[in-house]
Amino acid sequence: MEYLIHILIITGIYIILTLSLNLIVGFTGLAALGHIAFAAIGAYTSSLLALNFGISPWIGLLLGAFLASILGLIVGYPSLRLKGDYLALATFGLGIIVYSIAKNWVSLTRGPMGLPGIPPFSIFNYEISSVWSYLILVSIFVFITYVAIRNITNSPFGRVLKGIREDEIATLAMGKNINKYKLIVFVVGAFFAGIAGSLYAHYITFIDPSSFTVMESIVVLLMVVFGGMASLKGSFVGASVLIIFPELLRFLGMPNSVAAPLRQMIYGLLLIILMILRPQGLMGKFRFK
Amino acid sequence: MIQQLIINGIIVGSIYALIASGFSIIYRTIKFFHLAHGVVFATGAYFAYTFFILFDINPLISFFLSIALASLLGIAIDRFIYYPLRKNNAPNLVYLIASFGVFIFLQNLIQLIFGAQILTLRTGPIKVGHCILGAVITDIQILIIAVSLLLVLLTWLFIQKSKLGKAIRAVSDDPIGARVVGINSEKVILTAFALGSALAGVAGILISLETNLEPTMGMNAILKGIIALIVGGIGSIPGTLFGGLFLGLAENLGIWKIQAGWKDAIAFAILIIFLLLKPSGIMGVKTKKEQI
Repeated sequence: MEYLIHILIITGIYIILTLSLNLIVGFTGLAALGHIAFAAIGAYTSSLLALNFGISPWIGLLLGAFLASILGLIVGYPSLRLKGDYLALATFGLGIIVYSIAKNWVSLTRGPMGLPGIPPFSIFNYEISSVWSYLILVSIFVFITYVAIRNITNSPFGRVLKGIREDEIATLAMGKNINKYKLIVFVVGAFFAGIAGSLYAHYITFIDPSSFTVMESIVVLLMVVFGGMASLKGSFVGASVLIIFPELLRFLGMPNSVAAPLRQMIYGLLLIILMILRPQGLMGKFRFK
Repeated sequence: MIQQLIINGIIVGSIYALIASGFSIIYRTIKFFHLAHGVVFATGAYFAYTFFILFDINPLISFFLSIALASLLGIAIDRFIYYPLRKNNAPNLVYLIASFGVFIFLQNLIQLIFGAQILTLRTGPIKVGHCILGAVITDIQILIIAVSLLLVLLTWLFIQKSKLGKAIRAVSDDPIGARVVGINSEKVILTAFALGSALAGVAGILISLETNLEPTMGMNAILKGIIALIVGGIGSIPGTLFGGLFLGLAENLGIWKIQAGWKDAIAFAILIIFLLLKPSGIMGVKTKKEQI
């Protein structure tokens, strides 16, 4: 049972990541491939603050999300000048640079040794460390993220984002400052990804750079694409299916040296099949142009 | 010390240039980032390992076989994955994601078959190198530089002088115009994949003669290849050579002052600076802003 709840918690964290990436990729049509970097900033900020200065994880979570937003601003900047493949490449590069920093700035992050013993969240001296209570906490954050992103995309602001996706020049001609909109999208997306990272760190209580490789960014992108571009329900489906389905491989009694590559192979195969048969994803509303 | 770093930079730089040249031939005809090129590179190396080490076949024959198989793999990827997408008129990002899919699939297939541990193509003890201007260079390293540079030169001649090369340039400049004058663009794309993938196979074998094989080697190679291509300028083989050497030297001279772990960060910082400030690269044809 505990294992099942654990899977649900991880799924919840990935749903937050997927929803926030869907805002950037699905709704606005910007090809961003470095999403896990924001989660890394969130995770490392709140863990380091809690470990080194004893700062409450709640404050750490907010500060982490804030720092992730600043990184979002930096990552968003190339999006003002680059399109399509080139933007994908630049954001991918920034993802690798953040990973590199986590791995090589040993005096701060302890590099590949990772940060053990990260304290859990607590409310009035009650530690949220059991899986049940953590599931409730993650669910609350999933709900907040969902409502925030739904409200953003259903508002006039969201219509401008779709305008940028469909026809940038026409949107510009309508007098919208598209640069500002693109930057805001990156900042908001990064903010929620930062929260997801922090939730992950205080749940697992150990982080190291291997949790934040570029491959993870691709997995989150796959969740967005699989569930459906610009579909919030799709993000729930995408994240859930792609977390839970590979877990079933464990029950087939495979050793990890077989299960791990097999899981990745399934991811790869899914990407190929989706792109050929249904590039907008299961519940998607829009195709890349 | 500095001489040694320069030599090391030239060695990896020439391999980067070789990867980038193969990638460049393919990119000209299809105009998207064929990331799976990296896994073709790794496959070339693993085929060589299978024939040369596991089956103990004569090195020349096994390398030739591996290069041919890498070339076939490239053609197969185009036929079975990109061709249906071309029929659907898919946008670039769909190709990019599909290409990632191929990459992830094949890389993990390699890991499933050969395991995650590092392997090597070297047999026998490592020979002591020659001393040139205070730097040490082994016979194999000289071979790597010579073969890479020769192949980049041949690629350049092929693109500039041969009839097929001209067809590739025609399809690259204006696909519809090329069709009007009777060029079969599918055939040209096939040729580009065959040649480009063969070059990737050669690069894979060369790098495993110098360092080790591991399943993840393709990602690093293709990213460095793309960076070399962008730094040098897309659409220029001499530019690609320059880009490769520049990147190799920058990485190696960079770690003179800072730790080796930062190599990738240096390479990507260079990429981002070029993308933002000079997206057409050093020797590239000036691209229109809409294309970037």
